Amino acid sequence: MKSFFAFGLLILIAFFGSLFIFKRKKILNPWNYILLSGFIYIFFGILLGKHVLSVLSLQVLRGLHPLVGFALGWIGFVFGFQLEIKYLRRFPQKFISLSASQFLIVFLVITSGLAVILKLMFPTQPQFLLCGLAISWGLLGSLNSPSLLNLASSSIASKGNYFYLARFLTSISGFWSLSGLALIFSFWHFPFFLHNVLVMGLIIIFSMIIFSFLLGYVFHLLTKRRVGEQDLFVFLLSFVFFAAGASLYFNLPPLFVGMLLGLIFTNLTRAQERIYPLLFASEKPIYIIFLILIGALWDLNFDYRIALLTGLLFVLKLAAFSLSLRPLKATLNFPFKLPARFGFCFLSPGGIAVALAVNIKIIYDMPLTDVFISVALLFIVISELLSPWLLRESLLKIDREK
Amino acid sequence: MNIVALCIILLLMFFLKSSLPASLANPLQSSSLALGFIMLFAFLAGKNINRLKLPQITGFILAGILGGPFLLKLLSVAEVKNLQLLDGLALSLIALTAGGEMEIARLRKNVKGIMSIVIFQTVVIVSGFVAFGFVGRSFFPLFRDKSSVEILSIALLFGTLATATSPSTTIAIITETKAKGKYTNLILSSAVVKDFLVIILFAFALSFSRSFLSPEEAFNINFLKDILLEVGMSLVMGLAVGAGIIFYLKYIKREVTIFILSIAFFTYQISQTIGLHSLLVCLLAGFLVKNFSLYGEKFILAIERSSLPVYVVFFAISGASIDLNALEKSWWLALIFVVWRGGLKFLGTFAGGKIAREDSLVNRQSWAGFISQAGVALGMAIIIENTFPVWGGEFKALILAVIGLNQIVGPVLLQKFLLKTGETGQKVV
Repeated sequence: MKSFFAFGLLILIAFFGSLFIFKRKKILNPWNYILLSGFIYIFFGILLGKHVLSVLSLQVLRGLHPLVGFALGWIGFVFGFQLEIKYLRRFPQKFISLSASQFLIVFLVITSGLAVILKLMFPTQPQFLLCGLAISWGLLGSLNSPSLLNLASSSIASKGNYFYLARFLTSISGFWSLSGLALIFSFWHFPFFLHNVLVMGLIIIFSMIIFSFLLGYVFHLLTKRRVGEQDLFVFLLSFVFFAAGASLYFNLPPLFVGMLLGLIFTNLTRAQERIYPLLFASEKPIYIIFLILIGALWDLNFDYRIALLTGLLFVLKLAAFSLSLRPLKATLNFPFKLPARFGFCFLSPGGIAVALAVNIKIIYDMPLTDVFISVALLFIVISELLSPWLLRESLLKIDREK
Repeated sequence: MNIVALCIILLLMFFLKSSLPASLANPLQSSSLALGFIMLFAFLAGKNINRLKLPQITGFILAGILGGPFLLKLLSVAEVKNLQLLDGLALSLIALTAGGEMEIARLRKNVKGIMSIVIFQTVVIVSGFVAFGFVGRSFFPLFRDKSSVEILSIALLFGTLATATSPSTTIAIITETKAKGKYTNLILSSAVVKDFLVIILFAFALSFSRSFLSPEEAFNINFLKDILLEVGMSLVMGLAVGAGIIFYLKYIKREVTIFILSIAFFTYQISQTIGLHSLLVCLLAGFLVKNFSLYGEKFILAIERSSLPVYVVFFAISGASIDLNALEKSWWLALIFVVWRGGLKFLGTFAGGKIAREDSLVNRQSWAGFISQAGVALGMAIIIENTFPVWGGEFKALILAVIGLNQIVGPVLLQKFLLKTGETGQKVV
């Protein structure tokens, strides 16, 4: 009954929240952005969680577990659904190469930097585990979201190449990070494989792909002929629920399976125009409920190690994004200049980063998981606070200098 | 294509479950899979059964039975219990819809017929089951070797439970067939009115049976005071909720669907916590919005937009909860009870309709709209089991079997009746 009450409460907060989330009012003011982007709901979650009001106690959160799984699948699906190949083909090939190379460099810089520090901080923990942890932060750090750019687009007077490139890169970076997440969940599968890790990992990753493809294809066949709006909505919900449920059942990431399902479906169907309104209508409340749950799930533990790791993750990300641009321009023979300052507009990790962190948290039930989620959430909140300011420092100034 | 998709989903689920048995999986994570599977499987089953000109909810229920813990075992008893979290939301939405479908003008026209049918059905069914108890005392194990007082008590309780019709199933079928009109209103209003009458009647029957069977327990009329208080308070809360919805639809107007969902959740939760009748609260709230504001259509539309997934899970889980073991043990007895109940429903409706001078469609065929049974009867059976431990268990098992059969047959009969009235397909959603 408590879970039921908590679910109702979440819906009520989500309802009031969705009335004013994602508004385009002075978005480049950091405090406004943290309020309007929805990140404030993480604090609501902390308030409702076990540390303060205990409305969302551990027992209640267990009851709401299917909801977290569904929200992860949904976020993955919404992201994957936007990856239409015919749309991506309109961009120059070099944009995609830049995106992949940028992801790879940032990921390697963060992962290797943090792996060294982790080994010094936790010398008794197994290497295998520390390596997985560093990779997870690497994936999180290389992820960025286009939400801030979209919300701030009205504040940016002339939208030249830099704006469109930034929007493209931030929109697609999730694909690389979520694919990396799938690799983590396959090769560092929980509970860990003792033998044949490589073979088992490959089997898992192929199973996820085949499963998502099969579901996406069935979904397409069922909606190929025109179906009513209500039926389409039920199909949408049930396919995402099923995909998310199946991946959670095997300790796999609903975020990745949801993304693949969305990606496969969007490239098969012609019903995009009917599905987007359904996705957008439910996006805000699901996102808010999700953020509140994350806040409640957060085990608030702070020590010097968490502060140090968060700071390091932040600095490594900023440095990797800024300093990798010049060599990348030269290597890829990119058609226009990529000033280091341009790297500042990739700081906002967005909701998908929260989803990635939570996806890891709910599956890996280990002592270091709490360290992981604390660092991840602190990093996300700090990045979101600073990203509007850094965006002003990058795109607007580049614009003026031009 | 739906049938192929259904088979693929079923095979996938078999494969998933056989790769990792539920006993080895994290129970929370298996609930997520159960929810995804049942929603998809039941919805596809509903679509397929619809092609056979049967109602979708029969498909949802059958999918629940098939995938549930007694047949294919794709859902465990624990998973089914976890998913019953959605029942409160579904029942609130159903009651809000029921209220929103009732129009004062139509009720005024039908009030004589509704009351007459409800009263006659109740009298005929209760007395019919008392007679059944005495006539069949040597044939049926439940009545065998019992004293006359015991038989009277059991038969009274049985009759009361047999009177109940499931408003939730009625609403779901009306929504699905988009029926609107005199006959639809008659069936819906009678089912709702009967729901309250049965609650009051049950309290009487329980108190009578207690005093018959344990002479030291005197007949206590205090329950009437409690019921009146509950109904009164529920009406007050219903008024408040209705006024709140009207205020919102008039002045705020945004995100109506999420608002209605929140209201449904909270109304159910608060009613349960303070011991009110959540069905009555939501019903009155819906009734107010429909009849005392300009936003009735908008309100119903908002509910119908979001209610289908909730209904799919609700009815599928109600199917999965049907205890097939109980049905297996006493199916023949349950079948006799179902047929007898159906006959009494016909007699009661016929007599009530004749007295109220209803037309022949009401008199001869509307009984088919009152067969389905669900939550209320089940709840009462559990109370009986706890109150009369000697024979309560046997009674509950039989009731579960009867409810199971009625819930399979009831929606089909109601749909057939609505199709005959020509009132289906009237609403634009």
